[in-house]
Amino acid sequence: MAADDDHSRMTGDNEKKPVTHDPESKEPRISGEMRAAANDCNDQWRWQASSCRNDSNKQAVDKFQLLPEFLKGRGLVKQHLDSFNYFVNTEIKKIVKANDRIESNTDPSIYLRFLDVRIGEPSVTVNAVSETINPHMCRLSDLTYAAPILVDIEYIEESHAQKAPREKKDVVIGRMPIMLRSHRCVLHGKDEAELARLGECPLDPGGYFIIKGTEKVVLIQEQLSKNRIIIDTDKKGNINASVTSSTEATKSKTVIKMENEKIYLQLNIFTTPKIPIMVVLKAMGMESIQEVVQMVGRDPRYGALLLPSIEECAKEKIYTQEQALEYLETKVKKFQFASAPPEKEGRALGILRDVFLANVPVYKNNFRPKCIYVAVMMRRMMDAILNKDAMDDKDYVGNKRLELSGQLISLLFEDLFKTMVSEVKKTIDKLLGKHSRSSRFDFSQHLNSNIISFGLERTLSTGNWDVKRFRMHRKGMSQVLARLSFISTMGHVTRVSPQFEKSRKVSGPRALQPSQWGMLCPCDTPEGEACGLVKNLALMTHVTTDQEEGPLISLCYCLGVEDLELLSAEELHTPNSFLVIFNGRILGKHRRPQYFATGMRMLRRAGKIGEFVSVFVNEKQHCVYIASDGGRVCRPLVIADKGVSRIKECHMKELSDGVRTFDDFLQDGLIEYLDVNEENNALIALYEGEATPETTHIEIEPFTILGVVAGLIPYPHHNQSPRNTYQCAMGKQAMGNIAYNQLRRMDTLLYLLVYPQRPLLTTRTIELVGYDKLGAGQNATVAVMSYSGYDIEDAIVMNKSSLDRGFGRCIVFKKYSSVNQKYENNTADRIVRPNRNEDFAGNMQILDDDGLAAPGEIIRPNDVYVNKQSPIITKGSPLPGIPDSAYRPCRQIFKGSEGEPTVVDRVALSTDKNDCLCIKFLIRQTRRPELGDKFSSRHGQKGVCGTIVQQEDFPFSERGICPDLIMNPHGFPSRMTVGKMIELLGGKAGVSCGRFHYGSAFGEPSGHADKVDAISETLINRGFSYNGKDFLYSGITGCPLQAYIFMGPIYYQKLKHMVLDKMHARGSGPRVMLTRQPTEGRARNGGLRVGEMERDCLIAYGASMLIYERLMISSDPFEVQVCRVCGLLGYYNHKLKTGICSSCKNGDNISTMKLPYACKLLIQELQSMNIVPRLKLAEA
Amino acid sequence: MEGSSYQRFPKVKIRELRDDYAKFELRDTDASMANALRRVMIAEVPTIAIDLVEIEVNSSVLNDEFIAHRLGLIPLTSERAMSMRFSRDCDACDGDGQCEFCSVEFHLRAKCHSDQTLDVTSKDLYSSDHTVVPVDFSDSAAASGEALDTKGIIIVKLRRGQELRLRAIARKGIGKDHAKWSPAATVTFMYEPNIHINEDLMETLTLEEKRTWVESCPTRVFELDPVTHQVMVVDPEAYTYDDEVIKKAEAMGKAGLVDITAKEDSFIFTVESTGAIKASQLILNAIDILKQKLDAVRLSDDTVEADDQFGELGAHMRGG
Repeated sequence: MAADDDHSRMTGDNEKKPVTHDPESKEPRISGEMRAAANDCNDQWRWQASSCRNDSNKQAVDKFQLLPEFLKGRGLVKQHLDSFNYFVNTEIKKIVKANDRIESNTDPSIYLRFLDVRIGEPSVTVNAVSETINPHMCRLSDLTYAAPILVDIEYIEESHAQKAPREKKDVVIGRMPIMLRSHRCVLHGKDEAELARLGECPLDPGGYFIIKGTEKVVLIQEQLSKNRIIIDTDKKGNINASVTSSTEATKSKTVIKMENEKIYLQLNIFTTPKIPIMVVLKAMGMESIQEVVQMVGRDPRYGALLLPSIEECAKEKIYTQEQALEYLETKVKKFQFASAPPEKEGRALGILRDVFLANVPVYKNNFRPKCIYVAVMMRRMMDAILNKDAMDDKDYVGNKRLELSGQLISLLFEDLFKTMVSEVKKTIDKLLGKHSRSSRFDFSQHLNSNIISFGLERTLSTGNWDVKRFRMHRKGMSQVLARLSFISTMGHVTRVSPQFEKSRKVSGPRALQPSQWGMLCPCDTPEGEACGLVKNLALMTHVTTDQEEGPLISLCYCLGVEDLELLSAEELHTPNSFLVIFNGRILGKHRRPQYFATGMRMLRRAGKIGEFVSVFVNEKQHCVYIASDGGRVCRPLVIADKGVSRIKECHMKELSDGVRTFDDFLQDGLIEYLDVNEENNALIALYEGEATPETTHIEIEPFTILGVVAGLIPYPHHNQSPRNTYQCAMGKQAMGNIAYNQLRRMDTLLYLLVYPQRPLLTTRTIELVGYDKLGAGQNATVAVMSYSGYDIEDAIVMNKSSLDRGFGRCIVFKKYSSVNQKYENNTADRIVRPNRNEDFAGNMQILDDDGLAAPGEIIRPNDVYVNKQSPIITKGSPLPGIPDSAYRPCRQIFKGSEGEPTVVDRVALSTDKNDCLCIKFLIRQTRRPELGDKFSSRHGQKGVCGTIVQQEDFPFSERGICPDLIMNPHGFPSRMTVGKMIELLGGKAGVSCGRFHYGSAFGEPSGHADKVDAISETLINRGFSYNGKDFLYSGITGCPLQAYIFMGPIYYQKLKHMVLDKMHARGSGPRVMLTRQPTEGRARNGGLRVGEMERDCLIAYGASMLIYERLMISSDPFEVQVCRVCGLLGYYNHKLKTGICSSCKNGDNISTMKLPYACKLLIQELQSMNIVPRLKLAEA
Repeated sequence: MEGSSYQRFPKVKIRELRDDYAKFELRDTDASMANALRRVMIAEVPTIAIDLVEIEVNSSVLNDEFIAHRLGLIPLTSERAMSMRFSRDCDACDGDGQCEFCSVEFHLRAKCHSDQTLDVTSKDLYSSDHTVVPVDFSDSAAASGEALDTKGIIIVKLRRGQELRLRAIARKGIGKDHAKWSPAATVTFMYEPNIHINEDLMETLTLEEKRTWVESCPTRVFELDPVTHQVMVVDPEAYTYDDEVIKKAEAMGKAGLVDITAKEDSFIFTVESTGAIKASQLILNAIDILKQKLDAVRLSDDTVEADDQFGELGAHMRGG
């Protein structure tokens, strides 16, 4: 009751003061439109406070419905799409605009200007005719899903010394690969029926590219924030402040560090890594030391730290700006070829202006902002020296930016575009340089579209971003989209990959960061070397894109930020004022930071500024950080006023009635996006009931802290944490359904389940993602008991009848392809009708008359699937007609293994990029589980099939229930997967009452997970024991088992590792040519190696003859002729039937002996290097 | 015990008998006998099921193996199965569907001409032998008042233009080889419980205690008489040997309130058939086969040799 009282008091407060800012705050000093905006939103708040007051006493509102609404609007890969759309709509125009003029060096009046740029419809040009294409077509026929980049140009056409300006529209300068489901994609905005018509799966997330028929994802790249001050220690333990500046023009890294109590600047362009900072400041016009000290702060401790640096500067006798610049001039790295004319002002000033802290712009040589920036850096560094808490954490997610495909492609495009422009310039200069020009000169003819097209295609298909202009060499940025299962695809597009090398043995970046709560999944990371470095996005994460800065800056000034220009050095750090830093730029200071921040947030909630702008008041640093840059991770949260959620029952009702969308929630200021930094200014309650008056926000749903892959696990919060991580890795290997169009695809390898099921125990994430429609597993009735001894070490015992009826049955598709090559002499491979009377006809039975294997035929090893012939002569001059005799057979022979029958599923004909006929065969195999196949539940509990037992031998209950598989109970105690047990209980209750039960993470309080109590209740109602145990009889004896058996359905996944693909043994077989030893590896039918350790065992055991047999007889025995005199190897003369020593020139002292061929090889190789090994023989 | 025989004469009492369901008591025998009967019913009573499929045209979404697997699992009426030959033992033929002793041929032709999805069901299978046809559940469905339009077992769904044409051969087989030949959907038995309530102790309980005790049993075994307030055993067979009532009694401090033991020589069987043969026939066939198996043991040379060693037991096996 006390809590209730509290609650009503709270709402009472609310009535009195519906506006949430500080009581003493007056109306903000803002002008014109902004004021109107602010008033607007005040009104709105008042209205909300009054209209929903009645509901506020009620219980917590179920906000779950927001989630499907959120995901419906954006899908799971919104970040990729947003970023690509931003590039296509905005960024590309900026890039072209920045380099819009191509001018001839010889005649500047001849020019070409880009007026506009846009991306057209995805299409392909065949024989100069443009055809529109759709993604599935590209997948099937190995095309690139790309659209032309169209530009409008204005240029000079010169004919007969007459120059005339011309305009041309829709000139193609290249082809841009299009991200699926982006604005430019044909799939954008299509409904399910239309998608089906295009051969596309409606559940497919998009967000990837199709390059030459393969799907490529550009992974999200994680890197340190650009343009931000980071305080860190270097290897020697010195504290430094570094800024990685990145502007359109330059990219540089500036480090200010404290070494031997003195402060230095480190900049790559200078020869020494130690430039005294005072010199730099003086060079920028800060000649007064007093001003420097004032700028850093008047605290005597700062002064004391500055003193050695000041002294050093004085020792160098540098007092004025000129002296400082002269000093710097000596330190500048000399270019190897001094081609650039020496600038008047000197290179040093240029460097200070353009390279040093490039993110701080210098207008009209006013270096003051840069000086202040340096002062702020030094101040932060000194703070860190005085107080270690002020150090920045590089692993803090707020200091990270995620680079998405749009940004990466824009970098690439910028580079290629500039390359193209310079190439064009080069060619026209060459052309105009010629004296005798007779023909008409048309500038537009010289735009080369191949540079951009090929560059983009090559980079995306190799994944190597080599952008020399930006000194960027990164490998593995794009990967082939994992299509092993639906969930592996989802996991792949949300993956975040790190920038630094993986081999380093540091734990910091690998550790779970508290700040990744809600942003990055805590479970989903690979094991092994990339553990903790490769991450996955959480369910509700959004990654921002860049936003226009200009209006935001002027808004800040409107809201009372005092411009830096107007401030004296002394005023910079007055105790109660906060610096306002916008995207890493110091705008000025504000005397009432909280008031300013509240104002900004109000405007954001009112929708007057972008919803992703973050406002963060850093009390410790006395700064207000405003960020609108791209790559920040953020997530939506419900806004609470003094602990009362703004979302009321009425809003949720409107949502379920369909009159309110997620965007309305944002616009009405009920929900807002917070980034990691701003979260520090918020007090977020997990549930509405836990909110206190200080609470500012409430989580939407706690299970959204997990990602897509971890969201499949039922009751993950009851499991030991590494088990969830293991499941995240295994869920991606599970077989099941891939997409609705899975049977129309032509993947190189495809695993499908014959009867995939939807899990009996679902989670909300499963439904949101669509795993219930494209499942990868089956609900198996599992008995947890020991049986037969073939279940040790996690092996499972399977019921043969269950397998007969289709449990775990899977289909494997493999693609084989064959290309009809064309040759230089105008000949080409051909496919001919099989000759049914030939010797080889036995292996050509599956061929149709067209010489290709027929779909539906069973294909056996050594069967021909393409009856291809190649011309014998392929070089030289073109031949007109060639007879049949000029061809030799070049049949494609199937090399599968015996075992399950293999069937030709589909045959597809297409042309490849060289216009050759390309035939693709899809081979199908249906496999039932066998001994050694790998299975796993959804709790990181993998196991192989240990034995398969007849149903009548299986235990049964008196209801007639007989388990599908038996799992050993020893799997539980050490793994502590309690979630699996609850899944079993919930599944059992589910089947018996006919309702799918839920097991969402942390779902018990909010009703998204069934409680064990309720499940037990259901079990009892259905006549089962509350604890899920059953009374079973032994199937072998018919006697009751001694214990009650924990039995019920658990969702089991069949993993892609199957014995059939791995099983290998060999007797005699192929050998390596060089050493005559058996080959290695299953693919080459290789031998099984007796390695060093095995050899050691045999030596220890004394089995010398076995070693002899393994290492020599069964490997590479060789008979050699050895000369007893010189000890060299001779040869066997077949005519004389005797061995002869070639150095002694006779056969008198020859002995024949056996040694490994590898040994003989070694001897000869040594001889070739002028080392003579001699064999000294003795009688044995 | 000199001269006493191990031989017992089991009794069967049928409680309930429908075409696809039987419930009976088996008394005066032990678990080995009951279990042998259960195992034979599951694994060794022969039925007929589709074993070989020749596909002529298949343009459906499911691939050939998939359809063949589904066809195999369709139960076929197999009254004739006991008299048929296994195709591997059939000397008269090579098991290609032409031989009436060992195989039955089926044809399926379906093509969708309309815009509506066409369900290809087990009713579309045409048999060459009218005694072996896919099991028809429409009668039982009609009897139980369910929807009348039960169309059989769906094999595949076709959309416009898709076609399925195939020839299938059904053969005799047993459940041990493949579950499709198992005539039993469920065969299970339980020991008959012997429930004895200690009336004296029960009388010491209050009405409320009695009620909670009765309700502690997850199945309705006990009931409280509304008039006399006495606890009665209403359905001993509903007892699942869960020990809940015993634990409850102990928790109430009345250990020994009820005594439940399993009768070692009395079994209650539940048999559900797939429809391939009638449940009653399934039991009879199982007994026949069990007899044959015992005969095989009894008549084998090994048994005669072992006769001296086993003495009376050997004689017993020979029917002495």
